[in-house]
Amino acid sequence: MVRIKSRHLLCEINVTDRNCLLLLDDRAVLAAVKDTVLRMHGDYGAAPLCFLCVFLVKYLNAHTGIVFLRFPKNCYKLLWSALPFITSIESRGHKISCFFNCLHVGGTIRTCQKFLIRYNTQQLHRMLPKCKNEEEKQEIRQAILNCSLLRGKKEAFEEASESEEDEEE
Amino acid sequence: MLMFTFVTKNSSSRHASRLLTCGGPCTVSIMSVFMDLNLIQNQTEDRSGLKSLIETAAHLGFSTVAVNYVFEPTTKKKQNIPSPTPINELIDQLPIVQGRSRPIRVLNRLTIVMSDSSHYRPTAAEYRRFDLLAVYPTTEKLFHAACMTYDVDIICISVTEKLPFFFKRAPVNGAIERGVAFEVSYSAAIRDATMRRYTIANAIALVDTCKGKNVIVSSAAEKRLELRGPHDAANLSLLFGLSDADAKEAVSSTCRSVVLHAERRKSAGGIIHTTKTSPEETPPTPDDRDAPAAKRAKPLETE
Repeated sequence: MVRIKSRHLLCEINVTDRNCLLLLDDRAVLAAVKDTVLRMHGDYGAAPLCFLCVFLVKYLNAHTGIVFLRFPKNCYKLLWSALPFITSIESRGHKISCFFNCLHVGGTIRTCQKFLIRYNTQQLHRMLPKCKNEEEKQEIRQAILNCSLLRGKKEAFEEASESEEDEEE
Repeated sequence: MLMFTFVTKNSSSRHASRLLTCGGPCTVSIMSVFMDLNLIQNQTEDRSGLKSLIETAAHLGFSTVAVNYVFEPTTKKKQNIPSPTPINELIDQLPIVQGRSRPIRVLNRLTIVMSDSSHYRPTAAEYRRFDLLAVYPTTEKLFHAACMTYDVDIICISVTEKLPFFFKRAPVNGAIERGVAFEVSYSAAIRDATMRRYTIANAIALVDTCKGKNVIVSSAAEKRLELRGPHDAANLSLLFGLSDADAKEAVSSTCRSVVLHAERRKSAGGIIHTTKTSPEETPPTPDDRDAPAAKRAKPLETE
């Protein structure tokens, strides 16, 4: 079977105030990326973005600020080199200053998901020492165990992102 | 089992880091440690700014960062060289690096903005307090001197203005021979469109001359939103004309050889760097080390 080859970039949107992340939606991210590519590489860079079926925001987690971008395979490096120049995203009338941090480049969305589950588990481990009291700690330990056991399944993925929210409160 | 690397006055530290690659998989993971050797210390701002910068750098996966103190001497009156604040006074507990179990390593770096040859005093005791020493020459004569004679680790390239001179092959090759690295910083390019043109133009001119060798890419960030992740920085330096491999080296192994060069400069004769390799792994015999894998003598086949 022949398919259109593409590259999935798993990016993390870093902001100063994490509550701003909830304002994000995929259209705003798409517009910011398009805008920056046009500014950096002009018409030549913007041309590959016209394949609407290839250039997409596949997934956006507004709680953790994780976004999957899909780029055509033959020119993803050109498009990726524009991503560091994004300084703000305009969404729902607010200007959110942020930066993109690319975590992983994968050929399929499945490898990206596997990486993301591992990454989220790692994040939980990093946050564990910052807990305020013992109950919170237990809760997170439970969450880590759960998502480690169910690795590769969809529930684990959701659980990981949910527990991360719990902890920030 | 221990592997030794000798960095002496005569051999450049770049060569030393090449030798290390011949080790087992353990050493390979050491090679890919990311470094950002330029975080600007703002004199006016309090410590919280620097703290959040270091925390963000650790989150992005940088294992070593250097806090940069910029010193700009003027001809009129004598100024004091800033003294570095010890890092344990700034931050009580260093954050753990993303994906590793070690805390981040923080170095101190002095950058001297030179417009006259008297600004660099080779024997100044103040320089010894810093881990890294960088110069930013503004004229061609000073650039030539910095490349050929000054005992420094990093030569900064201007990113905020049009190149005041052309890079010549001879001084640049001399610098590469001595293990001095050239630095391109990208945060000015993020801030402003005009700066971006200057940064890219100057960087391309440099990379053309030095063929991508001994170039490091660093952030020069003052705020935490100006930092970029190591993979992004490597990919960004493709715009500067670096090849894929050189771009990756610009954020990892070249930075490491700069740090080793600095240690060599501070000690009298040389340094020994030891690396533990896994016990199963047998080290290659010394005469095989320089030859690529395909050219090594094959082990004899027995019946």
